[in-house]
Amino acid sequence: MILNAAIYGFGGLAVLATLLMIFQRDSVKAALLMLLALLSTAALYLALSAQLVAILQVILYAGAIMTLFIVALTVTPAAWRDRQPAASVKGLLGLAAAAVLFAELLKAAAPLRAVAASREFAETGSLELARLLFGPYVFQFELLSLVILAAIVAAVALTSRRRTAV
Amino acid sequence: MTEFYAANSDLILFAGAAAFKTLVFLNGVMGFTALLTLAERKVSALMQDRIGPNRASLFGLALNGLFHPVADGIKMVMKEDFVPGRAEKLLFTLAPFFALVPVLALFSVIPFGDYVMVFGYQLDLQIADVPLGLFLVLALSGLAIYGVFLGGWSAKNNFALLGALRGAAQMISYEVVLGLTLVGLLMIFGSASLQDIVRAQGRLLFGWLPAWGVVYQPFAFILFLVAAVAENKRTPFDLVEGESEIIGYFMEYSSMRFAAFMFSEFVEIILISMLASTLFFGGWQVPYLYESGFILPGGKALALNHYLVALLQVGAFSAKTVFFSWFLLVVRWTLPRFRFDQLMGLCWKRLLPLALLNILVTGAVMLALGKV
Repeated sequence: MILNAAIYGFGGLAVLATLLMIFQRDSVKAALLMLLALLSTAALYLALSAQLVAILQVILYAGAIMTLFIVALTVTPAAWRDRQPAASVKGLLGLAAAAVLFAELLKAAAPLRAVAASREFAETGSLELARLLFGPYVFQFELLSLVILAAIVAAVALTSRRRTAV
Repeated sequence: MTEFYAANSDLILFAGAAAFKTLVFLNGVMGFTALLTLAERKVSALMQDRIGPNRASLFGLALNGLFHPVADGIKMVMKEDFVPGRAEKLLFTLAPFFALVPVLALFSVIPFGDYVMVFGYQLDLQIADVPLGLFLVLALSGLAIYGVFLGGWSAKNNFALLGALRGAAQMISYEVVLGLTLVGLLMIFGSASLQDIVRAQGRLLFGWLPAWGVVYQPFAFILFLVAAVAENKRTPFDLVEGESEIIGYFMEYSSMRFAAFMFSEFVEIILISMLASTLFFGGWQVPYLYESGFILPGGKALALNHYLVALLQVGAFSAKTVFFSWFLLVVRWTLPRFRFDQLMGLCWKRLLPLALLNILVTGAVMLALGKV
């Protein structure tokens, strides 16, 4: 009973925060509402007994990625304007596009209804995950870190080009 | 209603015990925090050859300044509660909570003792034994950044924002190191539950050396301490605040709102001390003290009452916490501040490679000893 209440409560909070984020004009506040959505999703995972996923959600998304987003957004000029410009035709177009996307999403999600809910429940989910990641999939896993490293080096090279040109 | 109680008696008992432990432990921490604000001023006075605060008195009784935390609290409450005109009111109000709440929540996973038997029930001396406690520490300490950042941004003041940007850069950077220094411990103890880690430190190495984390990972301990002081944003890493010349993220805050930021800094000192003693110095473990009493390496034994053992363990944990808190205060009043490029260079060019090297060496040694 308590668990169900938590699942519906945090699920509802995530949906509400996401909707508010979409209709928020101030970019920093929108990012903060997204943070709320991410945190309530983490709580949802926790209510579903997926502790590791919940904690990783908080460490990676709420703790690292959203921090960078918010830091970057606060130094944009838009965050320092007192009154945000009112939405006009653009808003209507956006709503129409959103409606189309939502309809497509519903259509794509329809087959999911047919899938039977999984009743299998592994107590040591994180251990199993670790075994798979560092066992059969260790090569792919390590390859991914190389890809990320290459991306970081490329990003540094791209941004530092201007400095060397001077 | 009685049926409900009968069906859920375990749950209600658990919730009641948890609420009681939270009340006692958090109040203890709060009281210690208040004393720490006095200790900070007394330690600085001692180191600078001054007397320090000794005037606040109750009925003419000054007790060498023991009432100063109370006087400070009253002063903070009486100050004008000021909100800048252009500030984001809601976020400006919420920011101190963002700073304080994650830090306070972290105390729930810290084991302050083994267990005591109360009326036949086993009462664990830890608010919540979370299986992934170590990760929870990292997750919640990551959320503490928002307090600093929102405090700086929502005031809509350029200097506050600059302080907040410095703070975010510093905290994000040092959090990476903080996380990596704990990986070695995770590999050795094979568990992320803090209570499991402390229990594992009760063993003896070579028959006489307590198997504390600092014995296995002396290098990681130093890295952890540096990264933790940097996370705490105090001198020598106080560029976030820089109270003497560069103004920090809470410059528009006054009254209790400011007090919340300052309080969270002191609570963080206690948290770091507790984490350092839990992870590296055996937590509540007393060397050679077991459930039945002392058993010395030579074979001599001294049987002790269960409650006395529990009391000794809680006392040992408190003593270790007080020691590290004192150490952090001394560090704060000894070292001068870094420059910002030195701060970033120290993190990314020195500490991070060293932390990675520590993981590599730990893994290699464990592989060589066949402990994997």
